[in-house]
Amino acid sequence: MQKLFKFNLKLLAKVVLALTLGQVNQVMAADDWHWHGFVAQGLMQAKDSNFVNNDGEVSAELTEFGLNSAWQLNPSFRLAGQLMYLDGGNRYQQGLRIDYLFLNWTAINTLDWQVDLYAGRYKNVHWLYSSTRDVAITRPMIVLPQSVYFDSFRDIAVGSDGVALQSTYSSSLGEIDFNWSVGATPTPREQSQRIISTMISGVTQQDFVHQFSSFFRPVGAKSQWGVSLLDSDFNYRRAMNDIFADGDFTVQRVMLNWRYSEENWELSSEMYQERVSVYGFYAPGVQRTQFGHGAYLMARYNLTASTTLYASYDYFYGNKDDKSGRLLPVQTGGLIADYFGYQRDTALSLNHNFSQNWRATLEYHWTVGTGRLGPNVVPDTMVNKSKYHQLWAVQLMYWF
Amino acid sequence: MKKSALILLLIFFSMLVHADEQPQPPLVVAHSAVTVEKLSKSQLRSIYLKRQVIWPNGDKIKVYMLPAKSLTHQQFSQTNLQMFPYQLEQTWQKLTFSGIGTPPVEIATAEQMLQLIQSTPGAIGYLPYVNEINDAKVIQIQP
Repeated sequence: MQKLFKFNLKLLAKVVLALTLGQVNQVMAADDWHWHGFVAQGLMQAKDSNFVNNDGEVSAELTEFGLNSAWQLNPSFRLAGQLMYLDGGNRYQQGLRIDYLFLNWTAINTLDWQVDLYAGRYKNVHWLYSSTRDVAITRPMIVLPQSVYFDSFRDIAVGSDGVALQSTYSSSLGEIDFNWSVGATPTPREQSQRIISTMISGVTQQDFVHQFSSFFRPVGAKSQWGVSLLDSDFNYRRAMNDIFADGDFTVQRVMLNWRYSEENWELSSEMYQERVSVYGFYAPGVQRTQFGHGAYLMARYNLTASTTLYASYDYFYGNKDDKSGRLLPVQTGGLIADYFGYQRDTALSLNHNFSQNWRATLEYHWTVGTGRLGPNVVPDTMVNKSKYHQLWAVQLMYWF
Repeated sequence: MKKSALILLLIFFSMLVHADEQPQPPLVVAHSAVTVEKLSKSQLRSIYLKRQVIWPNGDKIKVYMLPAKSLTHQQFSQTNLQMFPYQLEQTWQKLTFSGIGTPPVEIATAEQMLQLIQSTPGAIGYLPYVNEINDAKVIQIQP
């Protein structure tokens, strides 16, 4: 858990330096300092999978608490951060973490062109829901489509320590955003165990994650079109008596996204291809590369001003050349069943706002396949014995 | 043939009547010292989505809104910003909880909104359509 707070010290030093060098020498006005927060508690059950817990019982491990603050130091500089507590059972590492803490410099701010630079722990803004997935009230569903928003990767995907740029340009054709970021995220062992294998005892490190995205909103249209690119390297260094070897991992993703909005309904979709290469790890000298696919379509319908229905269909294939997963038992001597090679999920979610700051959400998922249940590299075949599994969740949330 | 022409004529006149009933879009109003005379819908959206935080002369923009349930807010959202109110709400929540920005300050009534705009340098807001507004600047919104 301590490592969740580990920052890139150089970046933090730059933030402190910027503050102490006189960029901020004015007294804060009350309207320049904002506090917000939220609390969400729920119940959840995933009987035939390890998604929430290993015994399949009803669980209260659906706790989210966040507190964020932002200081508008002057028209060009802003400091913002969010402290978060999560208890999600097997989904996340339990405990406190800092989701973001950055200094924002508004470098260009004209009526048609805005450029913002971020240094510190910046937020991932490259996917449709990447910047809102960590907050219960801004997330459309309790469990987002796992093909793109794989919960085991949550802490790695929410943000990174490094620098980021966001830019929006408005023209007669429409608005176009360009976003770029480079950084790395600390990966404590407990988190690595949720991603790679519960049996690892060595150290995992993300070398870098480099991302770019662009979104276009044509003038007069009700749609948005986007593309995002990701390139990231990880390394694993074995411990004494480790059953795994030293290893290096490369993950590269190309993703297209789209959103269409009407007065009472909205459709959104993301589709990607991801290259995952493993060098070593299973044994010295091993090299393995495979291309995975994933996509979802999510629909929103405003039943009333305070009640919203969401429906989603989501699919994931670990290997696009083996969508049925039939090679998995062959390659592993029967240890891993074919249904670990894919996952298809259909979900319904109902949100109701009781007042301006209270919401209840009820959700159900029907799932075939276990390809998006952690750990991802060496899956849990002891608990995940069923190809078909379901999940229900109910959550009450308050925000201010 | 005559019947068809009559029906077409009736439809044409009913459209004219309907057009007359269309409410005027809310007025976008700023403090009298704001030097901007007109904004495109895209530029107005940048201001209300808190991407644009300063006026061209360097003054800080203070953004005000009416309650989400008010008819004027809903008209402003759809007509002036070309966004549905729920999209605006989603974007403001995203700004708030991502640390990227803060939503506009909510003002209970149009009267209070006008008073604040008149007394706050850099302020911008919107009001139900009226023929004349004193001590504040009406900004023209272009497509």
